[in-house]
Amino acid sequence: MHVAALREEIAVAPVPALTPATSGMVRLLTCGSVDDGKSTLIGRMLWDSAAVADDQRTAIAHASQNRQLNGEKVDFSLLLDGLQAEREQGITIDIAWRYFETADRRFVIIDAPGHEQYTRNMATGASHADVAILLVDARHGVKRQTRRHAAICDLVGIKKMVLAVNKMDLVNWSESTFRSIEAEFRSLAQSFKFTDIVAIPVAALPGDSVVRRSSAMAWYGGPTLLDHLESLDVGIERRDVPFRLPVQLVLRHGDFRGYAGTVASGRIRPGERIVDARSGFGATVRRITTMDGDLAIARKGDAVAIELDTDLDVSRGAVLSDIQRRPINADVLEARLVWLAETPFDPEAGYLLRTATDLAPVTSMSVSALINFETLASAPAHACGANDIADCHILLGRPTSLDLFAELPATGSFVLVSAVDGATVAGGVITWAQAGATAVGTNVFVLDRELLARGLCSDLGDSPADLAEFHRRAQEAAILLRSVGIPVLIEI
Amino acid sequence: MTALVSHLKLLEAEGIHIVREAAAQFRAPVLLYSIGKDSTVLLHLARKAFWPAKPPFPLLHIDTTWKFRDMIAFRDRTAREFGLDLIVHTNHDGLARDINPFDHPPSVYTDIMKTQALRAALDAGGFDAAFGGARRDEEASRAKERVFSFRATGHRWEPRRQRPEMWTLLNGRLGKGETVRVFPLSNWTEGDVWRYIALEKLDVVPLYFAAPRPVVTRDGQLIMVDDERMRLLPGETPELRNIRFRTLGCWPLTAAVESAAGDIDAVVEEVLRAKSSERAGRLIDHDQAAAMEMKKREGYF
Repeated sequence: MHVAALREEIAVAPVPALTPATSGMVRLLTCGSVDDGKSTLIGRMLWDSAAVADDQRTAIAHASQNRQLNGEKVDFSLLLDGLQAEREQGITIDIAWRYFETADRRFVIIDAPGHEQYTRNMATGASHADVAILLVDARHGVKRQTRRHAAICDLVGIKKMVLAVNKMDLVNWSESTFRSIEAEFRSLAQSFKFTDIVAIPVAALPGDSVVRRSSAMAWYGGPTLLDHLESLDVGIERRDVPFRLPVQLVLRHGDFRGYAGTVASGRIRPGERIVDARSGFGATVRRITTMDGDLAIARKGDAVAIELDTDLDVSRGAVLSDIQRRPINADVLEARLVWLAETPFDPEAGYLLRTATDLAPVTSMSVSALINFETLASAPAHACGANDIADCHILLGRPTSLDLFAELPATGSFVLVSAVDGATVAGGVITWAQAGATAVGTNVFVLDRELLARGLCSDLGDSPADLAEFHRRAQEAAILLRSVGIPVLIEI
Repeated sequence: MTALVSHLKLLEAEGIHIVREAAAQFRAPVLLYSIGKDSTVLLHLARKAFWPAKPPFPLLHIDTTWKFRDMIAFRDRTAREFGLDLIVHTNHDGLARDINPFDHPPSVYTDIMKTQALRAALDAGGFDAAFGGARRDEEASRAKERVFSFRATGHRWEPRRQRPEMWTLLNGRLGKGETVRVFPLSNWTEGDVWRYIALEKLDVVPLYFAAPRPVVTRDGQLIMVDDERMRLLPGETPELRNIRFRTLGCWPLTAAVESAAGDIDAVVEEVLRAKSSERAGRLIDHDQAAAMEMKKREGYF
């Protein structure tokens, strides 16, 4: 761990009891292959919890008649499949978002495709989830697919898993079948960092153990799926997590100068010290402002503006931090990523690293290993493409404030952006990072404003169109230089 | 309702975060202000995001000239009260050709007076990002929408070319010819919007609250007679009914519902117990199968 020893716990006033109602919203990912009945399970949950409006019910019942169904009146999966092309093909390609609420909770359902060729879609969906429902077919048990889905959930930081053993009606509601699948999954899950695993036997089509208790499974004394989701603890952060606020923008109004951003982790109060890890300068929080008035404390997830007692001269991309447990001011890092783009990784292409609010140029990048879904082992590799999960080494053109994902996920994750067309090519988590690996000026070519304005961009003025062209030329020049092996830093 | 207030605060913080990201990453954003309840919440989040400063972008309203009179009055009052720049754009060519919701099918009318007008207004203003109040719960093709929704040249929406969005990281780096629609209310539902309006005590267009208003019944839908341009069919006589609107648009194309919900608490109550989805009252969506997806591909919001 890069941070100093844990700081002494500050005495704080007791906070009100955190009941499930105060953790308001649960984002849940549903995964499992098409055949496992994922859409049916979610459709059933929406249908039985009265989250479907009457005109939708009629439309779905009508559309169900156009499909070949085995005696079932309603095709619940129609509630989830959205885009025209997908409806026609009868498969889920993209991520679909659905919303419903019960008396206690608001749910966001993230429905992601299960096929291996859509690993990237699943990883994308999973990155938003507090909990994952992993479906397996009771007749087939844990499969390669199950293992892969668990690995993706683990990669993006999901801690709570629900193993829904579906189609229990097709195995005669057998407890021993359920128990052996549960045991197999728990054993496989040991290689991951899940903190909370619950297995529930369900039958989505008839609706057993989804919303209503199953009379066919009297042996099962645990909660139904919905009961479990309603009682999960989410969004409650431990007290001792270090404070981070990535600065989105600086608000100015008269004498007011506020650093606007969302608290990524920890908490902050007026009077406490913070530091900008990049410059090393510290200041005291004077006020935490919002349009609704000043706050006495800001916690993870709060969108605020912070006014300091001294002008730190920091801008977007800086991370205001706990002064003892600071982020790493890193320009070299190792990461595990999922490749999202159709275009494979190209060591000579220009990339940018997008962290919470910073965008840092990548001077060089290499792939060191690919993860094998069958064994979950990593094997040495130098290339990666769509849907691969790879370990890589990244050198940045300048340092940026980062954390390790395992410690602080919100400031330990990134997306990789193509410098050419802006596409998001990969999403990753930081596994190791270090400051000062490269010194600017020794072996990095700096393309600065003055240099460019003198020659390449001498015909450009300062209109918005000219500025955009200025940036474009700078990027193109950098790409050409990188392609012949010269590390480049753009500073404009 | 109090049991669920905490999730509204989460949605609010998420929305403010998105508004700030877009303002920081795009050169010339604009807020597409359509005067309805979603725009009201969107504007409120934008005000919160930059407070004590004003939002650093103008409002844009696409005026088809067929909006309810109450909407236009509310629009002008809102811009004045908050001291915001308001750009009103009308497709004058369409107006000159008398494109109207009575003589033209909804798809033709919407394309010319709304979709084409929006594209022209965005191009004319040189805007590279437009905030919209769209929610993923509105309609099936929107359920897959991104927070930063990229549009290729000509504002075309290509569902297969959308960028993956991971965690809360938003990548707003534009490719050549691209513009972006930004949806800070992506994760809100209709019920959330109303509860938030109640919680924050926001003003909305009075048409959302039930009152006696002149209506005719056409194809089972209640159409309000908002001005003298209404074309009554033989046998039609406007009658006063106690109605309100769940969604607001062009008055000849927006169906009302009979309701006794005369204030915000009653509306919240009614919405949460609703038996039909909100877009059932939008006549343009029923025009063809997968109507919304088609419209989006053509550049509709």
